[in-house]
Amino acid sequence: MIDDKFLKSIKNLPPFPATVQKVSALISDPDFSMMDLVGVIEYDQAITANILKMCNSAYFGVRHKISNLRQAVSYLGRENIVRVVNAAGTSRYYKKAEGYYIDEAAKLWEHSVGVALMTQILSRKIYGREDNKLFTAGLLHDIGKVVLGEFVHESFQEIMGLVTDHGYSFLEAEEEVIGINHAQLGGEIAVLWKFPREIRDAIAYHHRPDLMEEGDDAIPWLIYLSDQACLMMGIGGGVDGLAYRGLGEVIDKFNLRQKDFEESIVLLLKDLEKAKELVDLVESESKG
Amino acid sequence: MKVAGNIDDVLITHALGSCIGVTVYDPKVKVGGLLHYMLPDSNLDLNKAKKTPAMFADTGIPLLFKSCYKLGAEKKRMIVKVAGGASILDDANYFRIGQKNITALKKIFWKNNVLIDGEDTGQNYNRTVHLDIATGKVVVKNSGGVYIEL
Repeated sequence: MIDDKFLKSIKNLPPFPATVQKVSALISDPDFSMMDLVGVIEYDQAITANILKMCNSAYFGVRHKISNLRQAVSYLGRENIVRVVNAAGTSRYYKKAEGYYIDEAAKLWEHSVGVALMTQILSRKIYGREDNKLFTAGLLHDIGKVVLGEFVHESFQEIMGLVTDHGYSFLEAEEEVIGINHAQLGGEIAVLWKFPREIRDAIAYHHRPDLMEEGDDAIPWLIYLSDQACLMMGIGGGVDGLAYRGLGEVIDKFNLRQKDFEESIVLLLKDLEKAKELVDLVESESKG
Repeated sequence: MKVAGNIDDVLITHALGSCIGVTVYDPKVKVGGLLHYMLPDSNLDLNKAKKTPAMFADTGIPLLFKSCYKLGAEKKRMIVKVAGGASILDDANYFRIGQKNITALKKIFWKNNVLIDGEDTGQNYNRTVHLDIATGKVVVKNSGGVYIEL
């Protein structure tokens, strides 16, 4: 049972920008028109501005200098357009993120970008290809923290107490103290935003993919593993630190060795440098 | 990695998860350094290690000491403190980067006769490390907001 307070609060969230879903729909059609795409995107000024901030990022590997939306759509290519539009649309929710999880909104966003980048590295290693669904799920996996952060001020000491003194994981402590954890709440937000089932599951089960009862669990497991890597590397780390359960079966699930994991981390640190423009979409207050 | 011989300086590194922060300080000449390494062994990616030696324990730690020698520090006077190396809960069975980072450091120090003068490692929280060049004071702040001096 989910507390009414949370359900009400997520209903007050601004709807997920329709532009993002429209772009995904247009692009999934094998023969889409560039002009249609530009038309849909330019209608949304905030997203257009964000796209222009990011599109020259080394991460996307575009050789031409992009200075307007039309060039962005032509040079980025289908897969990168989806990523850029998703990042441009999602980052706005992190700007307002505050409260107990994080010192500042920019860190939770940096963490989310880190997880999204890592999913692509692991997907290449395991399946030999990249996957935009994973990228989207990575950007959104901690969206529940944005909402939960507003509510737990008074319960925060209690949550930390259970983690520090009683061996609870952060997730278990959230459930005990406030009746829901940030992953479940994120899943509910994704339902409200009409994301497909696999994205919702990926968010809801990103700390406990082993508890999924039905459906394809590959995406949740990959988000889980990418999240663990970012927690270990302190990428956008919060007060919850590394206080989450480690699930050893992930090794057999993807047949990974320690070396594979560490190599992927080196790649992640490189990609994070290249994707600086994505990370900077939500500006750090302390950077000044 | 940063080294400094200016007493107005404070060296800081943020968000050490499983990574390790190593501080060295020579109180006589007031020279200090702070390394934030991420992984235990540079054999993983020798090219990367060449470009960014501070990423790995085995290339970063020697570089930290050598960079301080260049500013006049001497090994016999160096005060060495370490923090970080946190782990995921019950990670005994997989991807123990925090543990491996701690072990790598201890092996290197043991081989080179370096004693650790202060340590806050393990557990499962993030840490921020400050080294004050004027005094050599090392303060570790954990993600719960608690400060300790090493």
